[in-house]
Amino acid sequence: MQDPDAFDLGGFEFSASSHNAKEGGFTSKLATKTGTTISGVIYADGVVLGADTRSTNGETVADKNCEKIHYIAPNIYCCGAGTAADTEAVTGTYYVYFSIFQLILILKGMVSSALFLHRKSTLRESRVVSAQSILKSHLFKYQGHVGAALVLGGFDIHGPQLFTVYPHGSSDCLPYATMGSGSLAAMSIFESDYKDGMSEDEAKLLVARSIRAGIFNDLGSGSNIDLCVLSRAGTKYLRNFEIPQERTYIRAEGYKFKTGTTVINKRNFQTATSTTTEPKKIL
Amino acid sequence: MFQTRSEYDRGVNTFSPEGRLFQVEYAIEAIKLGSTALAISTKHGIVLAVEKRITSPLMEPSSMDKIMEIDSHCACAVSGLTADAKTMVEHGRVESQNHYFTFNEPMPVESLCQTLCRLAMSFGGEGEKSMSRPFGVALLVAGFDEEDKGNDVGGYTLYHVDPSGTKTKCRAKSIGSGSEGAQTSLNEEYREDLTLEEAETMAMSTLKAVMEEKVNVKNVDFAVLKSPKFQVYDAKKIQEIIDRAA
Amino acid sequence: METYDAVGENNFNPSSYHGNHTKQHATWSPYDNNGGTVMAVAGEDYVICAADTRMSTGYSIMTRQYTKVDEMSPKTLMASAGFMADAATLKKLLKGRCDQYQFANNKPIGCVAFAQMLSNTLYMRRFFPYYAFNIVAGLDAEGKGAVFTYDAVGSYERTNYSCQGSGQQLIMPVLDNQLKTVSPLVLPAVSSATPLSEEEAIDLIKDCFATAGERDIYTGDAVELFVMNKDGIRKETMPLKTD
Repeated sequence: MQDPDAFDLGGFEFSASSHNAKEGGFTSKLATKTGTTISGVIYADGVVLGADTRSTNGETVADKNCEKIHYIAPNIYCCGAGTAADTEAVTGTYYVYFSIFQLILILKGMVSSALFLHRKSTLRESRVVSAQSILKSHLFKYQGHVGAALVLGGFDIHGPQLFTVYPHGSSDCLPYATMGSGSLAAMSIFESDYKDGMSEDEAKLLVARSIRAGIFNDLGSGSNIDLCVLSRAGTKYLRNFEIPQERTYIRAEGYKFKTGTTVINKRNFQTATSTTTEPKKIL
Repeated sequence: MFQTRSEYDRGVNTFSPEGRLFQVEYAIEAIKLGSTALAISTKHGIVLAVEKRITSPLMEPSSMDKIMEIDSHCACAVSGLTADAKTMVEHGRVESQNHYFTFNEPMPVESLCQTLCRLAMSFGGEGEKSMSRPFGVALLVAGFDEEDKGNDVGGYTLYHVDPSGTKTKCRAKSIGSGSEGAQTSLNEEYREDLTLEEAETMAMSTLKAVMEEKVNVKNVDFAVLKSPKFQVYDAKKIQEIIDRAA
Repeated sequence: METYDAVGENNFNPSSYHGNHTKQHATWSPYDNNGGTVMAVAGEDYVICAADTRMSTGYSIMTRQYTKVDEMSPKTLMASAGFMADAATLKKLLKGRCDQYQFANNKPIGCVAFAQMLSNTLYMRRFFPYYAFNIVAGLDAEGKGAVFTYDAVGSYERTNYSCQGSGQQLIMPVLDNQLKTVSPLVLPAVSSATPLSEEEAIDLIKDCFATAGERDIYTGDAVELFVMNKDGIRKETMPLKTD
């Protein structure tokens, strides 16, 4: 048995792995693995990325309108499939806070943070290959345990670029790509109707159609279609570009309950008083 | 043609050239040697009455049961070879319990009779269960079917099952040695609107007319099938009916 | 080059990281789960049996128009969820038994008798069960609505409403809330049947399926409602979301 500490294993704690090996292996049951349809296509002037918005937890839908197209850099976005926590941690999200004095932008996510710092030090626009390199080396290091399957797209000095990155760290550079449980359904659209040098509208409709194929034919995918167009002209994030279907039935009178449905056994009102103590000063 | 029956009356599985099964016919004849049994059905229940031939004062009359319960909703009066009747009733009991186990409902009386008919016809076949001769017994099967909305079923029914495996639905029927006379009087006296009490009296007076001996509480058995319970009458009750029929 | 399945699941065995390879034996199973939701609601003089029409395996839809409710006799409806091959075989067997019943007893089988027969049939396979979760709905001998609900090996119970299948966990609490009637022990005796009218029950069932379709990936495409009352059996179909 080798000492796990002998390896440089980065930020994760691996000390339980030798114990788990003795127990016959460990399978994580905690992580939410989302069935997904994500896709992307290169057109004449840029890249269009697309994703469905269903997040599943086993056979139940956890979120009916989640975001699967993640921010990497202003000119680079990335669609994520697989373990939700991994795709979010590896790619990036940003939060914007409006305080009284200023606008505060908080970045979360490995690649988006790395590229942010890289831009600040080089004063140049981020490149898609940089994101791709960081992603694949990170995923390879974790040998598939970081379960992120990605479609990475962006527009940089080399023009429009599109990559797929698999959970073990392999990657492809392609004119059109799909990932997730609905990847076969989506790919069937690309394989029949993709052509080189499409216009932006053509590309948007084609990607939307590929996502729709996933939404209707793959149970892991569903709800709405998000798109992201990246070109020289800039980036357009088209949240809920299409809502293909509405609920078919709503009960007219809803669900109303008579007052007193829940019996109140005892009422007790008390004036609220602060119980917090002053924080201890640490010297 | 053939002078005598003797060539064709041995095997149960051989028809005579005239198309007759003599052994089955003989079995039907055997019933006519049995004690008289009769049943009268009314809207309120079915009366079963049998004659018991007490051939010796040393015989215990209560040991002779010619009225038997098949299930709580079904009973029968028999005439002929009572030993054969036991076999048939036992079969009926098993079938009825099996139906209840499978369907959680009492077995319909007609279906129950049908299983008895099937058994009656199972002679001559191979295997342990089959008989080598027809049953020498006839049964008057009285039963009650639960009402079922939508299906026009329910109420009291009376069937006559004979050794040929034929079942006949009857309103009143007699079998056994005195059956001819008894049936004639039943045919004359039967009415659709009989009360149970009238049926009891009619059964007793009919039996009285055809029996060689004088009726008493020892040499007749009486029972009534009336929802929710089948009931065999005791001596006191029988005496009441005898008095009424006098 | 080795690639991995689309959902991002990996085939990596963590124990091989430390060099000891645990043997994995084939876990072939004769069963599948084809999803789908079935439910039934009984009223004083009606019964409704409903099911969605989606049949799926894993993340794929096999068909969008599979009827899970069958008319077993003029007074009996049966709906099954679970493994559809087993459910179909079971129904085929039971339909044969219903015909035999009709021949033997000169009347169509009633729902109470059918319910017992189904229970026995399931228990006969106690140690290699039919992987089917059934609901029987019908009108009893008094013309009152009846619902019977089962587990895979034949345990059953007469109730006023029930739900089985992939949407069970989503729908059952709603039915409990909307339909649970007073205890049968309460005096004076109150009918234990569902208090809703036929129309109200249909409305509730449709909403239940629309809601289950939103959150259960195996419920969708359409819902079929079989409404049985003294006039006979009527079928209603309502579309559901197809995603």
